[in-house]
Amino acid sequence: MTFAQPLFLLGALAALIPLLVHLFDRRRPRPLPFGAIAFVLRSQRRTASRLKLRRLLLYALRTLILLAIPIALARPQFRRDAQAAALARGPAATSIVLDASLSMRYDTGQGTLFEKGRELARAALRDLRAEEPANVVVCAPNAQPPGAPLFDRGRLRSIIDDAKPTFQPADLNRCLELAARSLEESPLAAKRIVLISDFTQNAFHLEAPAPTVKGPNGEPLRPEVILRDAAGGQKALPNRAIVDLRIEPALQAGPRTFQFTVTARNFSDEAMNDVEASLRLGDQTVSKGFLELPAHGTAQKVLTWRFEDGGTFRGAVALSGDGLREDDVRPFVLQVPKEIRALVVNGAPSSVRYRDEAFFVDAALSSQGSPVRESMRDAAAAFREDFGQYDLLYLLNVAAPPPDVAAKLVAFVENGGGLFISMGDHVEPEAWNQALGAILPRPLRLVKTAAVPGEEEAAAHAAKLGQIDLGHPIFSPFTGQAGEGLVSARFYKYMLLEANGEKGQGAQILATFDDGAPAFALARRGKGRVVLFTSTVDRDWSDLAIRTSFLPLIQRTSSFLTGSLEEREEMRVRVGGTVTLRPEGNQQPAEIRAPSGEAVTHKANEDGTITTGPALEPGVYEVRDGRGQAIASLTFAAVLDPAESDLTRIQMDALESWFGEATVKHGDGANGDEPRVPLWTWLIAAAAAAFFFEGVLLRK
Amino acid sequence: MILDAHTLSKLHGVKLRARAVMEGVLSGLHKSPHQGQSVEFAEHKEYAPGDEIRHIDWKAYGKFDKYYVKRFEHETNLRAVMLIDGSASMGYRSDPAGMTKLEVAATLAGALSYLLVRQQDAAGLAVVAGDRIGEIPPRAAAGHLNLLLDELERLEPHGTTRLFDAADLLAEKLSRRSLVIVLSDLFDDRADALKRLLQLRQRKHDVAVFHLLDPAELTFPFDDPTMFLSMEDDRRIEVNPREIKQSYLEEFGAFLDEVKRTCAAADVEYERVLTDQPLDQVLLRFLGRRQGGRG
Repeated sequence: MTFAQPLFLLGALAALIPLLVHLFDRRRPRPLPFGAIAFVLRSQRRTASRLKLRRLLLYALRTLILLAIPIALARPQFRRDAQAAALARGPAATSIVLDASLSMRYDTGQGTLFEKGRELARAALRDLRAEEPANVVVCAPNAQPPGAPLFDRGRLRSIIDDAKPTFQPADLNRCLELAARSLEESPLAAKRIVLISDFTQNAFHLEAPAPTVKGPNGEPLRPEVILRDAAGGQKALPNRAIVDLRIEPALQAGPRTFQFTVTARNFSDEAMNDVEASLRLGDQTVSKGFLELPAHGTAQKVLTWRFEDGGTFRGAVALSGDGLREDDVRPFVLQVPKEIRALVVNGAPSSVRYRDEAFFVDAALSSQGSPVRESMRDAAAAFREDFGQYDLLYLLNVAAPPPDVAAKLVAFVENGGGLFISMGDHVEPEAWNQALGAILPRPLRLVKTAAVPGEEEAAAHAAKLGQIDLGHPIFSPFTGQAGEGLVSARFYKYMLLEANGEKGQGAQILATFDDGAPAFALARRGKGRVVLFTSTVDRDWSDLAIRTSFLPLIQRTSSFLTGSLEEREEMRVRVGGTVTLRPEGNQQPAEIRAPSGEAVTHKANEDGTITTGPALEPGVYEVRDGRGQAIASLTFAAVLDPAESDLTRIQMDALESWFGEATVKHGDGANGDEPRVPLWTWLIAAAAAAFFFEGVLLRK
Repeated sequence: MILDAHTLSKLHGVKLRARAVMEGVLSGLHKSPHQGQSVEFAEHKEYAPGDEIRHIDWKAYGKFDKYYVKRFEHETNLRAVMLIDGSASMGYRSDPAGMTKLEVAATLAGALSYLLVRQQDAAGLAVVAGDRIGEIPPRAAAGHLNLLLDELERLEPHGTTRLFDAADLLAEKLSRRSLVIVLSDLFDDRADALKRLLQLRQRKHDVAVFHLLDPAELTFPFDDPTMFLSMEDDRRIEVNPREIKQSYLEEFGAFLDEVKRTCAAADVEYERVLTDQPLDQVLLRFLGRRQGGRG
């Protein structure tokens, strides 16, 4: 503690006055013979202990008054040890490193850690001696070298005032290195780094070397380090966060129904019960649930919502808030597919329903939850239709179309239409290759018969599916037991395809038979997609149609071919990352706006895509065209890095060892806290209170 | 005429003061306190010519067949003994221009003596001071008054209060029904002293208490630190009076209440007398009560 006006402390000697008065006041009381002395004696005996206490209190209060006033006038101030040491060592060039990572947004109830950190930074600046130059490093992910330490306190103060916390982790190692390098630019021998942070474990990499500065002879020296804890020495900062959000269509619950699987993690030592998880669309909360989060554990909650119409939806999933609210919200942008209009071209109709080529496909597409609204025609009728009114065509065991129809089909696919082709007895490879070779994934070769249905051991000789690309959106649900219905299917006949030729470039084999022949082949042609199934969708060549996997396979293939399966994947980017937008048709993005309304830089690439970012804040980013109209399909969400939600505090011992224990000083919360009300005010208040109570005692 | 204490204190000697008080009292009375004579049988005497025939005791003649004449002693209306507490504490006076409690007691006793003797009542005196108990038996003779007044004149406060012993003495000496007038501050360390004194009432004596107090004892008007000295022994205490005033007043109030309650319980007339009060008024009030209450 130091005093601004130490001479006033001499006044504290006045506190001895009551004692001296007590010791030397030997005035002889007036003797008085008194008749009723017995009553005086009795009264004195009765009040003796009370009077003694009263006299003691009076003495204490008077001493307090006479002591508090001169000390208050002397203006006492708390000073940190580090400052006292600095006074002894001489002036030091100082670099103030202020942690601006996401975790500094933690709100303790009395303001955020960053606000506290900013106060500590201002206090550090105030504490500098006039001959000590300084600079400030606001430790954001893109922190720049701060420049040589300077004496312009106003400028440094404005850097601190303007500093804002980011939404990203901060690399304190790098910031300390920047600070150390900048200190080398000062001619002063002593160097000092003041580090203001919440000291979370993730912010430091203690495996890397600690910062050093060059000494007079070029030798590395450890600077003095003052650690100021914005979290005020709290052992832990309890936090929970949404660490993952998976959005998937829930076809079983109907078309345009999605399930939002929220994964939340508790980073604290105590379990958290009844944590509310809610799904918000726009400003409206549409679904809620509760989570039980064990200590340092995770829990999942599935929230389901059915969208009435297709379109682009923005929303968020949120947990009930805690100190760090930012990581309790996970924004998303979701493209909900519109209804798929499909034309099923039945190449082998039959009056016996179950013998009809399209019987099983029709059943799959018209089932509950199907996103498809189908129209069924025979080949002749279908080829007269305007394909433009459909999103998807099914060609089921159809003979090769005439050239004009083939041209319509190619144009349909290249303009973005989806085409599903299945084989059958009506399919002639040569004719097909000639008519639709431009869009087939691979040219057709010939039909292979693995077994004849009904013959002995036909099932044993029939082909099965071999390799299946389970990573592809069409097959991704068929993992584990769910794939049983797929691998158990028997295929008696199937069309062999040519090896990858020139025309076959870009084809992707999604599944093969056990002999390696392709079963499902995919090709992107223009803006459209074509899936070729080399067997039949009725029971003529295979029994896949009666397997449990058939229905989801057909529905997912339909969704995939119209582009709605991938689009249902959440479009998101990590905060700090860049995103590549793929404009379609005549979409011409002109500006990208962050959730706060700030413009985000973007760059057009040669392939027509646009790279934008970095996205510096979480939330939904809006893409607008030249007329300012929002392009809904390009809207995307930026989400936080869940690593920064872990607010586990670093072991200060380890940190001190890293810096070098001899060089570390603590500007702990107590010292860092400049009292809002100066100490002298409290002293004056105490003196006034003592004066009041003395008066009360004297009146008694 | 009202005789205030200051005026009275300027009169030198108990005789003057007592007379002044008595005259004040007489001028305040509306009728004579003289209540007529009574006679009391003394002895028989054989009849001789010249004796009053109406005094012949015919019952004795019946028994002895001789004429006896009753002889009667001419008696006063009343026998009164004034018991004065002459202890050192009675010598206290807070106002140097005023009277001590003992002077007030002597003045009251003197005035009462005047009044008693004037109406041919017998007046006696008992003074208790330390070890000494002085006594002048009650008589109605005019010359007796001077004796009483001289004794009162000579009173000097000394010794401790010994009401207990005085009570014993009076109980022993007073063979006939008497009026005992106690003049004291009642500061007796023996808790049951007053009760003992009031037991005289049980012996058919009439008892009246003049409780003499100095105003300072009642109000404790001291401010500066004071060394209080006992007037009867060597006790002393240094206190800040302001600190104990409240407690003192409570203690003293309780003492006064106790005295008053005890007197009432014993059917004893109680009169609190402050040394700055007009004494003729005190006596008038006392006599008025006796005329009305006891006849």
